Amino acid sequence: MKNSLKLVLAVVLCIFLAGVAGFANEYILGIGFTIFMYIALAQSWVVLSGLTGYISLGHVVFFGSGAYVFILVWGLVPVWLGVVFSGIVVGLVSLIVGYPVLRVRGPYFVILSFGLAELVKNLVLINEARMYVSMRPVFGAPALYQLYTAMLLLAIIATGLTYWIRRSRFGAGLRSIREDEGAAETIGVPVAKLKLLAFAISGVIPAMVGAIFIMRSGIFQSGDAFTPIVSFTIVTMAIIGGSDDAPGPFLGVVFLALLQELLWVNWPEVYMIILGTLLLGFVLFIPGGLYGLFTDYVLRKKNNVT
Amino acid sequence: MSPQLVAAALITGVLYALISLGLNLIYGTMRLLNVAHGDLVMIGAYVAFLSFSLLNVGPLVSMFGAALICGVLGWLSYKCVFQRLLSGGQILSRLEENSLLLFFGISVIIQNLAILFFSADRQGYEYLSAIVEIGDVRLTGARLAVLIVGAIISVAAVFFLRFSLFGLAMNALIQNRDASAIVGINVDRVQMSSLIFGFGITGLAGALISMMEPITPVMGFPYTMSAFVIIILGGLGNLWGGFLAGLLLGVLEVFGVALTGPEWRSVLVYGIFVLILIFRPQGLMGLGKTAR
Repeated sequence: MKNSLKLVLAVVLCIFLAGVAGFANEYILGIGFTIFMYIALAQSWVVLSGLTGYISLGHVVFFGSGAYVFILVWGLVPVWLGVVFSGIVVGLVSLIVGYPVLRVRGPYFVILSFGLAELVKNLVLINEARMYVSMRPVFGAPALYQLYTAMLLLAIIATGLTYWIRRSRFGAGLRSIREDEGAAETIGVPVAKLKLLAFAISGVIPAMVGAIFIMRSGIFQSGDAFTPIVSFTIVTMAIIGGSDDAPGPFLGVVFLALLQELLWVNWPEVYMIILGTLLLGFVLFIPGGLYGLFTDYVLRKKNNVT
Repeated sequence: MSPQLVAAALITGVLYALISLGLNLIYGTMRLLNVAHGDLVMIGAYVAFLSFSLLNVGPLVSMFGAALICGVLGWLSYKCVFQRLLSGGQILSRLEENSLLLFFGISVIIQNLAILFFSADRQGYEYLSAIVEIGDVRLTGARLAVLIVGAIISVAAVFFLRFSLFGLAMNALIQNRDASAIVGINVDRVQMSSLIFGFGITGLAGALISMMEPITPVMGFPYTMSAFVIIILGGLGNLWGGFLAGLLLGVLEVFGVALTGPEWRSVLVYGIFVLILIFRPQGLMGLGKTAR
C-alpha cells in the first residue's frame, strides 16, 4: 500500500518535471539539467562503488569517453542515435577493460581507477593533437528543453536502475562482494561476472550523460571532458547522500546542486574547498550519509515503539 | 646510452626515491594511502618559489622551511583527521578505503587553496642556471645541485630510519603494529611522527623540484601517481626496495620519453602505473607484502 503510494508520487513528480520543460525559462531549465545530470552520474556510481565497495575515483572516464565517441560520430548519425551509440560503445569497451581491471582489489582498485582516468585523458589529448584539433565545436545541437527532457529521462532510468538492482538478486550478490568477496566466492556467488556487469552498467549511463552534456556546453575539449572535478563531485554527492540505496545520491545531489548554483560561477575554488571539507566531515562522522541518518532515525523510532 | 640521458635518469630517479619515501612510510606505519602526496610537492615548490622571489632566499636554504611547513601540515592532519580514524579500530580494508577518500578531499582542498592564493598560472624562477660540464655531461647548476642534495638527503633519511631509535620504532610498526604496542612502543606518537616526517621530506623534495620545473597548483598529481608506482614496485613498506624502484622508474621514464617524445610523458607515467597495478601488484621482486 505504502509502496504503491510512493510510486504514484514519483510518477507525478516526473510528469511535473517533464511538463516544466514546456514553459520554464532557460535559467530554470539549466539548473534542472545540472541536477538531473548529477543524479544520473551519482546513481550510476552507486551501482558499482556503493554496492560492491569498489570505489571509483575516476568515474569521469566514462563521461569523457562517451562525450568523445559522441563527438566523433557527430553529424554522421542522427543526434539521439549518437547518444545511444556512445553509451553502447563505452559499455562494450568497459566489459573488455573491466576484466583485467576488476581483478585488482580493494585499495589498489581505488588508485587504479584514478590513474586509469588520467591515462585515457592523456591518450585522447595526444590523439587530438595528432589530428591538429584542440577543440571541437558542436553546431546545431537540439534546443535546451529537449536536452533537459533527455537528461531527466536518464536520471529517471539511473534512479530506477539503482532502486531495482539494490532489491534484486543481482544487487544482493554485489553487496556480498562489498562485505566479503572471498566468502561470497566460496559459497558460489559468481563474483567476477557480477562485478563486470556492474562495471559496465555503471559506465553506460555516464557515457550518455557525457554525450548530452557536450551538446549543452556546445564544445568538446578533452581537458574539460575528462576533468577530475566531475569524478570528485560524483563521489562527494554519493557519500554525502549515502551510497547504499537509490534515495541517497538523490539527497546528496539536491543538497550540493544548490550550493553549486550559488558558488560555481564566481567562486569555483571556494565551492571545491567546501566540497572537500564536506567529504572529510561525512567520511569521518556520518559514513552512512544523509539517507543513512534518516534510516537510522526511522529504525530507532520503530524500536522505541515496540 | 648517452651519459647525458643517464644523468637525467639519475636526477629523476633520486627525486622519485625521495618523494616515494614519505608515501611508503605513511602507508607502512598507518596503512593510510595518501593520494594528496603530490600536493605536498606542490606546497614545497611554492614555499621555495615565494622565499626566492619575496625574501631572496635560495631553495637550498628554504627547502628546510618547506619541510617544516609540510611537517606542520602533517601534524595538523594527524590531530584533526587521522588520529580519530586510526583509533576507531576499523577493519583494515575499510581503513585503507576511507583514508583514500579523506586524502582525496584533502587534495582538493589544498589544490583549490593554492589556486585562490597563487592563481592557476605557471610560475618559476631562475637559480643556478649556468651550465656545468662534467666530462661529456652538460647540466645546469640547478640540476646538479638537485642530484647531489637529493642523493644526500635520501641516503641520510634511509640510514636514519634504519639505525636511529626513532627509525627502528617506525620499522617495528611497519612490521607488526600490535606487537609494537605490546613491547612498549608509543604507537600514537610514532604514527604522528611518521606523518610529520613523511610530509616534511616530501615538501623538501618539492622545493628541489621547483628549481627545475614550472610551478602550478596542479603540478602534484603526476608525482602522486609515480610515488604509488614506486612503492608498489619496491614492495609496500619496504624502504630500500622503494629507493631502488624510484631509480628504476626514473630510468624508464627518461629513456621512454627520449624514445617517444615529450608529449608522451604523462601517458608513460600513467601507463606504467596501470600496467603495474594490473600485472604485478605484489611488487617487482615479489618480496614485498601486498596490502592484504
